[in-house]
Amino acid sequence: MPSEAAPIREAKPNKLENLFSDDSSTDDTDSENDQLILPAASSRKRQKLAPKTQEAIKKIKETNDDNEFEDGELVAIPLDRPSDFIPDAVSHIFANSDFSYLKLKPDHSARPIWISPSDGKIYLESFSPLSEQAQDFLVTIAEPVSRPSFMHEYKITTHSLYAAVSVGLETDDIISVLNRLSKVPVAKSVIEFIKAATHSYGKVKLVLKHNRYFVESSSAEILRMLLKDDVIGKLRLQSVDEANGAADGLVETEAPKQGDLVIPGTKKNHENKNSKEKGTDTKNDSKNNEVVEGVEDIYADVIADAEDENADDTVHSFEVAAENVETVKKRCQEIDYPMLEEYDFRNDTRNPDLEIDLKPSTQIRPYQEKSLSKMFGNGRARSGIIVLPCGAGKTLVGITAACTIRKSIIVLCTSSVSVMQWRQQFLQWCTIQPENVAVFTSENKQMFRGESGLVVSTYSMVANTRNRSHDSQKVMDFLTSREWGFIILDEVHVVPAAMFRRVVTALATHAKLGLTATLVREDEKISDLNFLIGPKMYEANWMELSQKGHIAKVQCAEVWCPMTSEFYQEYLRESARKRMLLYIMNPTKFQACQFLIQYHESRGDKIIVFSDNVYALQEYALKLGKPFIFGSTPQQERMNILQNFQYNDRVSTIFLSKVGDTSIDLPEATCLIQISSHYGSRRQEAQRLGRILRAKRRNDEGFNAFFYSLVSKDTQEMYYSTKRQAFLVDQGYAFKIITHLHGMEELPNLAYASPKERRELLQEVLLKNEEAAGVEMGEDADNLIGHGVSRRLKSSSVKNQASMAGLAGGEDMAYVEYSRNKNKDLGVSHHPFFEKNYYRRRKR
Amino acid sequence: MARAIKGMLIECDPSIKSLVVRIDQDYRDIVIEELDDTHLLIDPSKLTFIKKELNRILADNAYNPFDDEDAQAAAVLG
Repeated sequence: MPSEAAPIREAKPNKLENLFSDDSSTDDTDSENDQLILPAASSRKRQKLAPKTQEAIKKIKETNDDNEFEDGELVAIPLDRPSDFIPDAVSHIFANSDFSYLKLKPDHSARPIWISPSDGKIYLESFSPLSEQAQDFLVTIAEPVSRPSFMHEYKITTHSLYAAVSVGLETDDIISVLNRLSKVPVAKSVIEFIKAATHSYGKVKLVLKHNRYFVESSSAEILRMLLKDDVIGKLRLQSVDEANGAADGLVETEAPKQGDLVIPGTKKNHENKNSKEKGTDTKNDSKNNEVVEGVEDIYADVIADAEDENADDTVHSFEVAAENVETVKKRCQEIDYPMLEEYDFRNDTRNPDLEIDLKPSTQIRPYQEKSLSKMFGNGRARSGIIVLPCGAGKTLVGITAACTIRKSIIVLCTSSVSVMQWRQQFLQWCTIQPENVAVFTSENKQMFRGESGLVVSTYSMVANTRNRSHDSQKVMDFLTSREWGFIILDEVHVVPAAMFRRVVTALATHAKLGLTATLVREDEKISDLNFLIGPKMYEANWMELSQKGHIAKVQCAEVWCPMTSEFYQEYLRESARKRMLLYIMNPTKFQACQFLIQYHESRGDKIIVFSDNVYALQEYALKLGKPFIFGSTPQQERMNILQNFQYNDRVSTIFLSKVGDTSIDLPEATCLIQISSHYGSRRQEAQRLGRILRAKRRNDEGFNAFFYSLVSKDTQEMYYSTKRQAFLVDQGYAFKIITHLHGMEELPNLAYASPKERRELLQEVLLKNEEAAGVEMGEDADNLIGHGVSRRLKSSSVKNQASMAGLAGGEDMAYVEYSRNKNKDLGVSHHPFFEKNYYRRRKR
Repeated sequence: MARAIKGMLIECDPSIKSLVVRIDQDYRDIVIEELDDTHLLIDPSKLTFIKKELNRILADNAYNPFDDEDAQAAAVLG
């Protein structure tokens, strides 16, 4: 066999040579020489290959004899599938995902997870008694993909494993716990993947201690290897300390411990008791089941390890100069030893402490505590991202972290509204003096006076590269000239990577904390965040929080509104952008919206209606006589409307455009209606849902918040809608589909009930140009940074076509204002005196 | 002399009716008579064709999460 194969291999080079010689006759002799050499080379190769190929061919022969296989199947079988595996009748349907060869462990029913050998997905039976512990563990080592009520899906990725290592888990522990939990033996491919990913990551740490940068590792081997590297080796700083160190110049110190660090808001004693109780509790639960107990034990061991990182361990370190840190970091990344950044804030004496503490009355919730313990696991501050649902108290997590570090703090958020909210929250929850809290926005440029303080600003203010005013340039110089202990990055998922890089490099900060509710991006740029900020440290389970009453229970529904035939005919004829306008302005949708508003208002709900499309927003709101807010609504009017929504019983519905998606805090709202949205953005859906998660009444008996998404049937919107829901469905929310709203037709003064009205609406919609179909630019968090600043400067021109006679009123056109802007009604009423003397006179 | 054409009465949602009319514009000779918002008289021999076309057009409006996943799956363990 091999002797037959070899000539074929040789044939190709020969042909190539011939081609060459055809082109240039002078090379003839050379090519002949080559030909002489070539066979020799290939024969050498052949000798090497021979035993291998022979073996392979032998195998193929053996299997080929087995007539049960078809050629296609042979190729598809993965390597770790045993050779004696015989596919059954349905195997071909599953193709590579047929894992029926995996042998179940005898006690598999007591173990909660399955691990897929091919893609590292983990399926957890969340009804299993062990699932709570398993979840804690899985959230640490894998990324939650989908968590509905009975089965959870997790996925092991390199990033999730990085995160696991960064909180102190060891490779062997991860594998052994997985093995204990799994119903089938963990596949070799998965083990190898875990080993490969954890082998190098997290072994090297960059620590800032006594204001000097140290490269630290628990293994001296790795450091020695780093020092041999020609880039890093040179940058090492020789210092006096090293004289005392080992011969190789590495300094040995004790490994960091959480020790006496207490995260404010938690009580250390309380914590200890808790963990003890937890231990006994779980043991009681599992008394009956030996296997289960085994798992518990090893699990407890691992977690304990993670928490105090083998107290007797020593770490080795060498110092690098501050100006070279960036180079070292980059080099480490290149040679696959990415560095973890830690900030030893308790030993930082150069940066002055900030007088900040949580108020004694402030209590943080268990999951907030858990997320913080991941951050401060070894008494130092790690950089990373914490994911909590909207309304679950992300702000408080940030504040507590700030109170733990107690150095100068900078907070960046997405809009000036949330800047004010952050400032207010800081003053509410902790003891920081108001004069130490500075705000840096386009309106406000005061800085704090003391040595240390807190600055709240927006991403766009800091990352702006255009010309600044003198004042803001002064503030920027102030910000960049200082060292900051801690930076809080609010809503990290919305910020473009380029801008992030600018922010992160402009400000010298020791620890970074990213906060977000939805770590999804439509452009799959999430991995950039991993690099720029750090790994995801904690992700909360939405369903669990809502069961415990930390966030509201929400009923989600998708309402299908059939397109009327006229609208659909036009829909089929129009361009893609205009189609959008047609399905948003679908009269049936309008009626559904009207009906739902009426229904929920009569129940006493406070309703927010979301529309991305500004034209539709105005049309709907004017027709229904409700106040609305969008990008160009002046600040004063916005505040006025929001306050009325909160306190005025007569205003129980408001319409919001994208500006309301994030960071508007309206705990009164209990019902959401969504009439138009930004294509298939999962993030937007989740953010909007977040507006009602913090409903004030959430702890009332039997309280439910409502989330309706109105969708025009048989249009593109159906596609987007399903896609948008994906994220929430993965969090365990179920969308009910409503095909018919009962009693909608009987609604008194239902809009667009007659064909004539519908035709008029259609006419009007068709006259709108494509611009109106566009989603609002500017204020949205997504575009905030790019367009937010210059939005007002742009002149927007509108082009309409009409005949001269028409414009002059010749086509018997009359203009009557039917729908008054409700916003104006909310305006301030004047004192009777002025009303009488000034306003009435003016009318006359 | 009166002429008779064989027709088939179909009942559907207004939107589907519009869609069928739309298909008719492209291919001709499908719809014999538009009766009202929900009823159409069509050529019986074109029924299967119409069904196929409708499925094709409406499939664009359905989201299949597995489309996205297949692309990602390969990148994970490989």
